[in-house]
Amino acid sequence: MALEAQLSADEKTLIIRMDDKFDFGKVQDFRAAYSGIPDSVNTIEVDLTETEYMDSSALGMLLNMQKVLKGKVSLYRITHSRPQVLKILTISRFDKKFEIE
Amino acid sequence: MRVLVVDDESINRFLLVHMLEEQGYLDIYEARSGHEALLLAEKIKPDLILLDVVMPGMDGLEVATRLKSTNDVVYLPIIFITSLDEKDTVVRCLDVGGDDFVSKPFDKTVVLAKVKAHLRTRELSTNINAQNQELKYFRHTVEREHEIIEHIFSKAIINNPAVTPFFDYRNIPATEFSGDVFLCESSPNGGLYFLIGDFTGHGLASAIGALPVTRAFQAMASKGLSVSEIASTLNRTLENLLPIHMFFAAAIVEVNENGRRFSVWNGGMPDLLLQGPDGQLEKRFSSQHMALGILDNHEFEDDDEVFEAAPGSRILAYTDGLIELTNESGEMFGEVGLEKLFIGNPHISVEDLTAHMRDFMGETEAHDDVTLTLYQCQDLSSLRKDNVVTPLPFRVNVDLGPTLLRSGESIQHFIDLICSQLGLSWIRSDLFTILTELYSNALEHGVLGISSSMKRTSEGFIEYYTLRSERLEQLTEGFVKLEASFDPSQRRLQLLVTDSGKGFDIDNMPEPDPEQSFGRGIAMLNTLCETVEFFNKGTTAKVTLAL
Repeated sequence: MALEAQLSADEKTLIIRMDDKFDFGKVQDFRAAYSGIPDSVNTIEVDLTETEYMDSSALGMLLNMQKVLKGKVSLYRITHSRPQVLKILTISRFDKKFEIE
Repeated sequence: MRVLVVDDESINRFLLVHMLEEQGYLDIYEARSGHEALLLAEKIKPDLILLDVVMPGMDGLEVATRLKSTNDVVYLPIIFITSLDEKDTVVRCLDVGGDDFVSKPFDKTVVLAKVKAHLRTRELSTNINAQNQELKYFRHTVEREHEIIEHIFSKAIINNPAVTPFFDYRNIPATEFSGDVFLCESSPNGGLYFLIGDFTGHGLASAIGALPVTRAFQAMASKGLSVSEIASTLNRTLENLLPIHMFFAAAIVEVNENGRRFSVWNGGMPDLLLQGPDGQLEKRFSSQHMALGILDNHEFEDDDEVFEAAPGSRILAYTDGLIELTNESGEMFGEVGLEKLFIGNPHISVEDLTAHMRDFMGETEAHDDVTLTLYQCQDLSSLRKDNVVTPLPFRVNVDLGPTLLRSGESIQHFIDLICSQLGLSWIRSDLFTILTELYSNALEHGVLGISSSMKRTSEGFIEYYTLRSERLEQLTEGFVKLEASFDPSQRRLQLLVTDSGKGFDIDNMPEPDPEQSFGRGIAMLNTLCETVEFFNKGTTAKVTLAL
């Protein structure tokens, strides 16, 4: 299983669905998911429904995405986090840079 | 049908037997005296007795008295033969249990009509008796089966006695078995879970679903799963198990260790009412979903609602049997009735509520099961000790050389090894984060000698990971050693991760910069672990976790 990226019908939102593990092994795939997206995209949603585990390199990847897309995308959302994953996001105060649902 | 003719005069017996035989009654016995009649009756079990009143020795009245007193539940008609047409004889005949009489000389039509009528009654009575026997047998079987099922239920549906004292709880079944379910269990993360639910209908058919629900709930609670995961697993189980017209409305609630943070998944249950310390309504957890056992898993929504309540708040959950209660005049108790009692009343107990409910009902019976449960926010840290862990102290050592470091799967297997021990499965997620962190540091900075400052730019971030895989590919020496040791008496897990690298300056670790995409690992470790230490110039990291 790998991560999936999907563009909304209006091409304004990119949804990246992660699989069970969000760790350094996803560096290339994650970057590929948001490279070359159309200029119309103003929101990126990272859907963590399936994600059971997360490490600090995942946090790095998320922040790196914001750096790369600086000025292009205005809203970053992290959705459907499980409690354990949410705990890590909360500890790292990711709510300051991402909208966490 | 078998007829017994009792008369001391043979002419009378002859006449009667002849009349009956002409009509096709061929199974006929004769007795010449009362004494003989009793002996014969016991032996041949007649269906009807024609009995002469006046006989030498034991007379007909005496015979009838005895026969009626020994006779079983089936109606045995006794028709008296009498030449005495007097009123008081007739009355005496009937007094001793006679059912009818015919007078001498015999009128053939009358005799046969009476015999026929009484035999028909006898036959009906025999049939009814047979049906009664069958019914009795059936009832006994059902009672026995219920006893067995009750036994199984009482053994299988037991809530953890360490958790039940936190709830004021009452179940009032409409029949012997309740389709309502109340379950509670402690969480390995500290805190607790509870589930209140209602199967379609009531009685045994709806109660039976409680068994798989209880098992699954307890198993998932002891693993510390989220209410969303519990809801979706129960849905899958029940969707598979229940017939199409049956489903399970339920609210699943997790309360965290401080006893005040609620995660609620409500599918098809009445609102859960959260009352502030002053009794006022703070929050309703309304049903957001369809009941369990209806939707396919891909249609199923597992989103929960999270709310942090003030200390001393109380949450009330109940099944719809309560609001649907109807009194003699057809009025319903209703949500309004319940909320009027509960809101603004911070001291009302479940017992008070059920007392109000009984007053309302008067003489009428409830048509559905009613369940109420009330929880007051309080510190739940005592429950953490309730989680059973392996009594065995253990230590696991693993040396990872270049080949295993390249494979990249070792950490997963190492975690599996630890989490397969009794009571340790719930820490899997934290353990993954902690061990991956320590392992990545040991491998990337230690063994491979890559500096995290490379990650300062977004190009460098990718470069860092490219370098990582290049160096790992070419690696010929170096190691990462993992050690886990568990002390059950302290309920403490210690992890040691040592690498073959040069180490780092332990005393001058930079403060993490929130803008940077690196350097937040240590801070994360500090939050997840009880202690975090570095030794041997930073080549060994030691962390401990309390369970």
